[in-house]
Amino acid sequence: MFAFIIRRTIQAILVMLIISLIGFSIKHQFGDPVRDLLGVSVSEAEREALRKKLGLRDPFFTQYFRFLKNAVKGDLGFSFFYKKPALEVILKKTPATIELVFASSLIIILGSVPIGIFAAIRPQHWLTKVFMGLSLIGVSIPVFLTAIMLIYIFAVTLHWLPSYGRGDLLDLGFWQTGLLTLDGLSHLIMPATALSSIMLPLFIRLIRSEMMEVLQAEYIKFAWAKGLKRIRIWFVHAFKNTLLPVITVGGVQLGIMIAFTILTETVFQWPGLGFLFLEAVQRADTTLLVAYLIVVGAFFVITNTVVDIIYVFINPMVRITGKA
Amino acid sequence: MKEAWLQFKSSFFLYSFLRDPVAIVSFLIFLVLVILSFLAPAIAPHDPYDLAAIDIMDAELPPVWMAEGENRFLLGTDGQGRDLYSTILYGMRTSIIIGILAVLLQAFLGICIGLIAGYFGGLVDNFLMRLADIQLSFSTLLVAIIIGALFQTAFGVEKYEDFSLILLIIIIGIAEWPQYARTMRASVLAERKKEYVEAARVIGLKSGRIMWRHIFPNALSPILVISTVQVANAVMSEAALSFLGLGMPITKPSLGALINAGFEYFISGIWWITAFPGFVLVILIFVINLLGDWVRDVLNPKLYKH
Amino acid sequence: MRKWYIALFVAVVLTMASSHVFAAGKTLRVAFDADPVSLDPHEQLSGGMLQYSHWVFDPLVRWTQEMTFEPRLATKWEQIDANTMRFHLRKGVKFHSGNDFTAADVKWTLERLKKSPDFKGLFVPFTGAKVIDDHTVDLITEKPYGLVLNMATYLFPMDSKFYTGTDKNGQPKDRINKTAPTFAKLNESGTGRYVVAEREQGVKLVLEEFPGYWDAKAGNVSKIILTPIKEAATRVAALLAGDVDLIAPVPPKDHDRIRGTNDMKLVTWNGGRIITFQMNQHRVEAFKDARVRNAIVHAVNNEAIVKKIMKNFATPGAQQGPEGYMGYDPNLTPRYDLAKAKQLMKEAGYEKGFTISMMAPNNRYVNDEKIAQAVASMLAKINIKVNLKTLPKAQYWDEFDARAADMMMIGWHSDTEDSANFTEYLTMTPNKETGYGQYNSGNYSNPEVDKLVIASQSETNMEKRKGILQKVERLLYEDAAFVPLHWQHLSWAAKKNVMIEDVANSQNFPYFGSMMIN
Repeated sequence: MFAFIIRRTIQAILVMLIISLIGFSIKHQFGDPVRDLLGVSVSEAEREALRKKLGLRDPFFTQYFRFLKNAVKGDLGFSFFYKKPALEVILKKTPATIELVFASSLIIILGSVPIGIFAAIRPQHWLTKVFMGLSLIGVSIPVFLTAIMLIYIFAVTLHWLPSYGRGDLLDLGFWQTGLLTLDGLSHLIMPATALSSIMLPLFIRLIRSEMMEVLQAEYIKFAWAKGLKRIRIWFVHAFKNTLLPVITVGGVQLGIMIAFTILTETVFQWPGLGFLFLEAVQRADTTLLVAYLIVVGAFFVITNTVVDIIYVFINPMVRITGKA
Repeated sequence: MKEAWLQFKSSFFLYSFLRDPVAIVSFLIFLVLVILSFLAPAIAPHDPYDLAAIDIMDAELPPVWMAEGENRFLLGTDGQGRDLYSTILYGMRTSIIIGILAVLLQAFLGICIGLIAGYFGGLVDNFLMRLADIQLSFSTLLVAIIIGALFQTAFGVEKYEDFSLILLIIIIGIAEWPQYARTMRASVLAERKKEYVEAARVIGLKSGRIMWRHIFPNALSPILVISTVQVANAVMSEAALSFLGLGMPITKPSLGALINAGFEYFISGIWWITAFPGFVLVILIFVINLLGDWVRDVLNPKLYKH
Repeated sequence: MRKWYIALFVAVVLTMASSHVFAAGKTLRVAFDADPVSLDPHEQLSGGMLQYSHWVFDPLVRWTQEMTFEPRLATKWEQIDANTMRFHLRKGVKFHSGNDFTAADVKWTLERLKKSPDFKGLFVPFTGAKVIDDHTVDLITEKPYGLVLNMATYLFPMDSKFYTGTDKNGQPKDRINKTAPTFAKLNESGTGRYVVAEREQGVKLVLEEFPGYWDAKAGNVSKIILTPIKEAATRVAALLAGDVDLIAPVPPKDHDRIRGTNDMKLVTWNGGRIITFQMNQHRVEAFKDARVRNAIVHAVNNEAIVKKIMKNFATPGAQQGPEGYMGYDPNLTPRYDLAKAKQLMKEAGYEKGFTISMMAPNNRYVNDEKIAQAVASMLAKINIKVNLKTLPKAQYWDEFDARAADMMMIGWHSDTEDSANFTEYLTMTPNKETGYGQYNSGNYSNPEVDKLVIASQSETNMEKRKGILQKVERLLYEDAAFVPLHWQHLSWAAKKNVMIEDVANSQNFPYFGSMMIN
């Protein structure tokens, strides 16, 4: 296990190196950061002077090695817009996104497991058909449209929920949380619902189809023949075996969800990573972008490592390294 | 050729299709939508992609049955004065092509990489999965920026419009293969230790054959579930990319672009620009899903067939 | 027992009374599309930063709604000689730090402005300031300069004592640096109505009343909570949901919705930002022909664009400066005439038309992308086929600087509130050394226009100057130097009791310090 973690850490560093190299080589495609820093009427000579001062005119590898040298010291560069270390800016925005993703994961799990199981054991029930139909509509409506619809109904028309932001936060020093205040929770409801609207249908369908397969397996037939209780067969024998593919897909989807936070956070003015990313693209804040990519890359390596470890526990047949 | 047809005619595939009314109806609807979209120039009352034919003074007219609606425009017009009915027909073609081809490309790449990673394991697996991690960090948007930039340096801005459809398929296809790869790999890891795979190996079957004919069908179910969701995502991704100047030209809106526009029109009450294309997209995704379910049932060796 | 009741009663009455007396001020919750990027008023020349400067600092003079000058920290001013303007400063004004405001602060601020990369361009005509006594200061220009008062609206005196010395990083406190942390970026001491109480960049800015503020006639807003909400639809929703009291800007298509909501109101104001397309003569041979340029101007129905896309939330234009500016000529009106446009194309020998590329931003100006599409469709009617590409502003400026398309969109607002500024940046012959024509992507060049504008800079006789600037507009009009579209309006939507209409202006600097909430 220890060797495994060491190996994965080395791989993570390699991944981040490659990401930074790609990120660095494309960063000028995002636009000229100097444009956003200076007013429109500033002369071209003044602009060029700032570019030189920021080191943007240095040769590619000079810039890249300077970046690497600092990165070793934990310094991923300076955000042009926030005028703070990029890593600090990112870490500051991380709690907002984690709480949002956590809340929507909760909605997804609490929604998809019961509905998925129900749909699998009662495929002909009218409720199943309603759920399946609704889930398809959920998939076909883009997240931002779901979001604005929610805002329109619950904030503008009914005045039940706040329309934007995170509300009152509790500062725990290293972490600003909205989960511990009533106001913070009420701000979380709509963004979390909107974010889960894409993934929830996916998981309902996934659990349903896996469960239906398992229900036809020999050992379930055998369990029926043994006269085991229905509840026990469904939830213990059958459901446990549907978990494996669900967790795999879940692990990947957690990553995909990061991409969807960009839209959700923008619509709800949620001060998280996705919002930060889109702003950085729009402002051509290239240092922040490269730092963001590296952090997200690290995040994916970590989640996938965790998924691989969970795997071993659920399915003893799989060896982590996959060596035969 | 004739032989192939005969083989197809007597196949289980066709047999189960003809026995399943839901599959037949879904397929027919799907076929109608495809035909309508490809015959759009012949069927549509207006040509919404001809800039000379649209007039800004017709903008935002409601559908014909509402007070200010005009007979010329059955479903009303969009913000530029394009006939919405015609635009939906034209735009659906872009959306269908991208939705299906991009997802096929994703699935093809993902399944191949996942199979190889899971089957061979070890270094190959590690390498491919870290590649997937890198890919995941570069979301569709970033892939679009990279490929768009590469293309522009190679061929110039002028050519972009002619190739935008192919480029979009490649962009969306490349950007999202990792989810297929990881799903496929997980299934392979679960299957490869099972007796039937061991048995196949013992009889000396080639790796490729074991992977495709034995492991792949057993892992099909989650792949199909993801795919149906991905079609919808691809359609919307295309629309989102045109914001960056990397999608289809904004003068040729797709279904996704029309729905996208709904965001800004939502509060002002101009619902038709989003609602009609949205409805068509829901129908499209719906029948693709039903067909996907049917394919899964037919090809899945774990389900008993009657 | 009874005593208790009485005590309680007294306490309640006292609290009510005290809350009445001491907390008369109201809280204003504002949502704009962006928040100020810094607390240093000299860091960036942008609308957002100037709005902030008007809340936390005070200028020497400021614009009124009628485009006249209102005394603020300067109470009077007089021309001493051709190159000198004397300002008499207000007495008894204190900075947030408690320091007294004096003439030395004005001199210090002007010197700092001349060091700021963003502002130095505007202050080039000034050689410096001379302190006469504590409350009198002379601003001296190199040549006679007609816009000294216009520039005095940019002079927000900073607390020179507060900003002198070194900070904890050993850097001078008055340092201006775009990308490194500086003292002035995080700390402020102005004379303005509000003190920065809390700030998280991109999330929230909280301003609280400065107890020692000099202006007794100030409004009754004692606290401002500014939240940036980028998405226009979310911003509108936040207002309709009652989560904020005032928003800006308001997308044109939601104007009716807000007008139709009971306790809401919409305030619009004519703005000075002109939106234009430029025709690149270096890229397209045909654009060298004034007939072709005129044909394009005649083919573009900018009145229809204003009506349908801008929902009348703009004024269709035919020149650069809007009404109220010195060079404005009321005789120059929009001239949509498709028949004439076709005729002109025929005369120029382009009856069959040609193909061009066009670029426009899609998140910079109000409805920029839609406007570009509409123009493309209008040009199609005179057989000019347009390949249109729209981009986010971050990428667009790169393309604009590279002059990457045959027709490019550019909007311009004059920093000096004066007509000459438009021509200097947009239509004078591009010249790297002088910086003229920096945004002239059309490469239009007319020596007569260049000569007139340079003459206008040192003309202090306002009647003569007006004549010169009007002539410039007329020349550009006849020559069809660019495709004029419209002047964007400004808009605010608010709850009925927020009297934004009293403090709105065409510069888009709402003076919240003077605003009332009823």
